[in-house]
Amino acid sequence: MPGTPKAEFLQSVREALGRENVPPIEAYPRLAETPSELEQQVAQMRQHIEDNLPALLDKLAKMAALGGWRVHRASRPEDVIEYIETLARDSGTANVVRSNQDVFNQIPLDATLTNLGLTVTTVLRDETTTRESLREEIRQSGIGITGADYALAETGSVIVLPRKGLARLISVVPPVHIALVRAEDLLETLDDLFLLRRLEYHQQGGEMGSYLNFITGPSRTADIEMTIVEGVHGPKEVHMIILG
Amino acid sequence: MPEIKTQDFTAASTAAILDPKLRRALDRVAEGFHVARLDRIEEVTQDVWDGWKDQAREIKVHTIENLDYYLELLDKNVTAAGGQLHFAKDADEANEIVAHIVRTRNIKIVTKSKSMVSEELGLNPVLEALGVEVWETDLGEYIIQLAEETPSHLVAPALHKSKEDVAALFTEKLGIPYDEDIYHMAATARTILRDKFMEADLGISGANFVVAETGTLVIITNEGNGRLCTSAPRVHIGITGMEKVIPSMQDLSAFLRLLPRSATGQRITSYVSMTTGPRRSDDEDGPEEFHLILVDNGRSKMLADPALREALYCIRCGACLNICPVYSRIGGHAYGWVYPGPIGAVVSPMLVGLPKAKELPQASSLCGACREVCPVNIDIPKMLLDLRKKTAESPDSSLRSAPEIERVLARLYAKLMSSPKLLKMGVKFGRFAQKLERMTPVFSPLTTDGKWIRNAHIPILSRWTKSRDLPTLPKQTFHELWEKELSPDDS
Ligand code: SF4
Repeated sequence: MPGTPKAEFLQSVREALGRENVPPIEAYPRLAETPSELEQQVAQMRQHIEDNLPALLDKLAKMAALGGWRVHRASRPEDVIEYIETLARDSGTANVVRSNQDVFNQIPLDATLTNLGLTVTTVLRDETTTRESLREEIRQSGIGITGADYALAETGSVIVLPRKGLARLISVVPPVHIALVRAEDLLETLDDLFLLRRLEYHQQGGEMGSYLNFITGPSRTADIEMTIVEGVHGPKEVHMIILG
Repeated sequence: MPEIKTQDFTAASTAAILDPKLRRALDRVAEGFHVARLDRIEEVTQDVWDGWKDQAREIKVHTIENLDYYLELLDKNVTAAGGQLHFAKDADEANEIVAHIVRTRNIKIVTKSKSMVSEELGLNPVLEALGVEVWETDLGEYIIQLAEETPSHLVAPALHKSKEDVAALFTEKLGIPYDEDIYHMAATARTILRDKFMEADLGISGANFVVAETGTLVIITNEGNGRLCTSAPRVHIGITGMEKVIPSMQDLSAFLRLLPRSATGQRITSYVSMTTGPRRSDDEDGPEEFHLILVDNGRSKMLADPALREALYCIRCGACLNICPVYSRIGGHAYGWVYPGPIGAVVSPMLVGLPKAKELPQASSLCGACREVCPVNIDIPKMLLDLRKKTAESPDSSLRSAPEIERVLARLYAKLMSSPKLLKMGVKFGRFAQKLERMTPVFSPLTTDGKWIRNAHIPILSRWTKSRDLPTLPKQTFHELWEKELSPDDS
């Protein structure tokens, strides 16, 4: 492989800095934290969220709407299903793809959609479904439905992490994305999210998972004359349904 | 590296300033981004904003001062996640690494999401020479790729093009009927590029940040093209400058708060995509291979120079461009290389060499607006002054930007201003000359209305006087007033 060997490259950086090959004189506080310290911080963070849940859910709804989500709040799973039914009917699409996350056990919507005459594809690989065929199904779908690993009140974002049954492309390829958020997915700040991920990283022996994706509102561009156009490469229409 | 035209700054900026279409486009950006940015700051309050800025700067200072350490940590964690980290000391090496991957992985189609560093490397021509199809997928980048131009802004690369320009370009290059509806044009790009995303073998992205603690690459986009580039093809290569590393994942909070607000006035962008290694065996999709290329390409020169080191803290938000009275009149292309605006006037001379870009540090009124808006508190005016000093004091006369006669005048001026006696004599002489000049009103070549020297073509000094109005000498100078009326001796 072409390129400069690591040792040589690092040595040239050291020379530019006039530094020896030693760790920073003052250890970086965040990197010095032990897993049990992180655990403590996470516990505090969880408590704070629990104590302020209704207000934080309101904040999530507010920030999500500012970020371009069409926000719908529901108190029961049936309401969620009913709402999705309306969206699916209005969209005029024939195909829906959904992830295979456990939120769908709580909100079983396949039957309703199938009754509308829609084809529902679930992300589930087996002998006949390969990564390639899945990708084609996602491409043919007018709506992609996913859960949220987390939802951030600070920014109104949905966060998705790699899980078996959740393809990265579901939330970005179909022109409509519906994200299902439950109260237990709620986090308040960016710091909460990264703190939690750092703890999990340590707990899983240094495994971060291949991606961590934020979604906040529709795909958009302002590259021609600063005019905002939605749905340029990703979905034009994004719905956040908050249950709880 | 792409063609360097920094030597032509004077001619290019003079031409740009006379282009009304460009001015309209630049005003639009200033309005749009700048106003939205101020709204966001007001919303979170100035105090909170300043706190974020301090936090971000502190992170950058610490990382850059220990850059070798964090690069090593990053390398360890990228490798642990199943990815490969490559170091490139210059553009040729970086391009060669990509070319090697292209050849050995049988790559035919490449989709790219916006990367200023790949512009800096001149990567696209290298790929095209290998017979590979290269598609820029950010709408602005797609437009300038079709037009065979370079970006004119860090965040909005095609801002210099009007909708009529784009429509004509699409007609010419894509063979579609002329249609200047912006929504239709975006839809056209979507349709064409959608196929390419799915067919591509390789996705190339830049990186806004890379996290040493976890080996994670972070990109921030609004269109979703970045996510598609890093999710759909079987190989993903991230290319960025070595200064983009930050220590901990939690450090991202400050930057994710600052960058979108500073860049476009958004609270957060539509997408933040964080990638750590290739897809794992249980993942449903994602690339099989993940490479990260970190380039030096002149950055260690900035690192080695304490006066310019802080240029490496830049997060390329573009806020200093939007506020700059010089950029907003001449646009990005006049700067002659990849990085425009105030930060470009610092970075370009360091990356292409000061002799070739000695005019750029002069392209500033030193008003300080860039320093004020910078989310990492970079003192750009100070660095511009330092570069000016380097050009002025260089023993090599080809490095100096001013002709010898100006240097002599400047030295005389310095003498005059540092001696009260000489200054007093100078003023007296000046007033006398002024009086003489006013006695011949018809011919009076300078002070047409007796108060101002306007648009004067004074030999030797005309570089200043033809575009700057000067007041004539007053009856009394402040010095004289002070002595007569205000001096404490009077009381
Ligand atoms: S110098 Fe500061 S304001 Fe300018 S682009 Fe870089 S980070 Fe933004």
